[in-house]
Amino acid sequence: MQYTSFTPHDLVLLLQGLGISVALFAATTAIGLAIGLAWAMLRYYRTPLLSPLAALLAELLKNSPVLVQLFLVFFGLPVLLETELTPVQAALITLSGNTAAFIYVIAVSAIESVGRDQLEAARVFGLSRWQILRRIVAPQAAAFALGPLTGLLVNQLQVTSLISVIGVVDLTKAGAILNLRTLKPFIVWTVIGLLYYLMARLIAKACARVETRLRAHSEWKGL
Amino acid sequence: MIHIEGVAKRFGGNTVLDGVDLRIAPGEVVSILGASGSGKSTLIRCINGLEKLDGGTISVDGHRVDDPKQLQLARRCCGTVFQLFNLYPHMTALQNITLAPIEVLRVPRRQAEDEARELLASVGLLERADAYPAQLSGGQRQRVGICRALAMKPRYLLLDEVTSALDPEMTAEVLSILAKLAANGTTMLFVTHEIEFARQISNRIVFLERGRLLADLPAAQFFAEDGGLAQPRIAQFLSKMSKS
Repeated sequence: MQYTSFTPHDLVLLLQGLGISVALFAATTAIGLAIGLAWAMLRYYRTPLLSPLAALLAELLKNSPVLVQLFLVFFGLPVLLETELTPVQAALITLSGNTAAFIYVIAVSAIESVGRDQLEAARVFGLSRWQILRRIVAPQAAAFALGPLTGLLVNQLQVTSLISVIGVVDLTKAGAILNLRTLKPFIVWTVIGLLYYLMARLIAKACARVETRLRAHSEWKGL
Repeated sequence: MIHIEGVAKRFGGNTVLDGVDLRIAPGEVVSILGASGSGKSTLIRCINGLEKLDGGTISVDGHRVDDPKQLQLARRCCGTVFQLFNLYPHMTALQNITLAPIEVLRVPRRQAEDEARELLASVGLLERADAYPAQLSGGQRQRVGICRALAMKPRYLLLDEVTSALDPEMTAEVLSILAKLAANGTTMLFVTHEIEFARQISNRIVFLERGRLLADLPAAQFFAEDGGLAQPRIAQFLSKMSKS
């Protein structure tokens, strides 16, 4: 057996990489969702100082390359704070922040898409701002947000591949390792690409299911 | 008693209400007539606190609408029905009606739903309780809108051109319900273009013109030659409306 041929251990490496990619995606999505929604709440409640600050931060994060942000966090932050960051920590911080920025934008526009006339009706009947958010704004905004959210999540899944450059052994890095050893780039990258494709399809499918449920009240079934 | 004293409202340089004085006592049905843009809807929006006043005061049973601390108490006394229904599209007819009683008045869900079903039955919509607004006709939506306002057991019902978005048949559906409410002694402030209907159900008719009250007269007197019709502007308005 030549050293360039595939071995069963390669499958283990691939699955480990896949696991890291999925775990990072899931963790950064959860953290990003929490932070992004918190920022959107600052805006909904028109919190002075904090609300414009969140807007500025989101603006900075979504308008600069993730790779640059990753380098800034991985190489820059430890120098500034005189600490050490593992590649996984740097990846977690960067991708969570980046996802949060886009979640913020999606949440804000979804909240603003809810018809003003219903909100006036709710105010007139004495509902508090929190009750209006919970019972009227959130269910409808969630339905509006799911389309853009699907696009974002599929994109953020693919963005996780950037962390391979700082040495996290994710799916892409596993591919690079296999490629170097086997010298069969066409097979290796096809398999890696297909794995990303399958994960993206899973995300899109799950989102579509939730969206159908949230839009049950509307007659509109799309074009 | 709703007390409206010297109320002024401006949008930019445009004066919409210019020193309006009006009192509505419990049991009265007061119709507000006037051309589009005369400030009728704005007056309703001032009473339920959707617009900030630029002058004057409004109080509902002693609760000042212009004081943020008292606004919620004032709102508890008033139910509003809107021109474009303003129903919550993601909730069924029943949920639209029970939302505020459950959230604001803390009525137990079962009780709120029973009361909502009674209200729906009284407007002939019991079998549509689980339909979403998108599945209802305009007239049905407005009947749900009326039930939603009544579910809060308001002392005053504010109706803002509630039939303007409806065709004549649907208008008749809604008006017959309002006539029933008026006959049962519900206090109503009724902004409308349905002059004949206003004449039938109102105790008083108020005429707004460019944000000022031109007339505030008992209904019969408003339509009398020596009453409201003695004012050229009102005579002109009524003759145009009856032609259309």
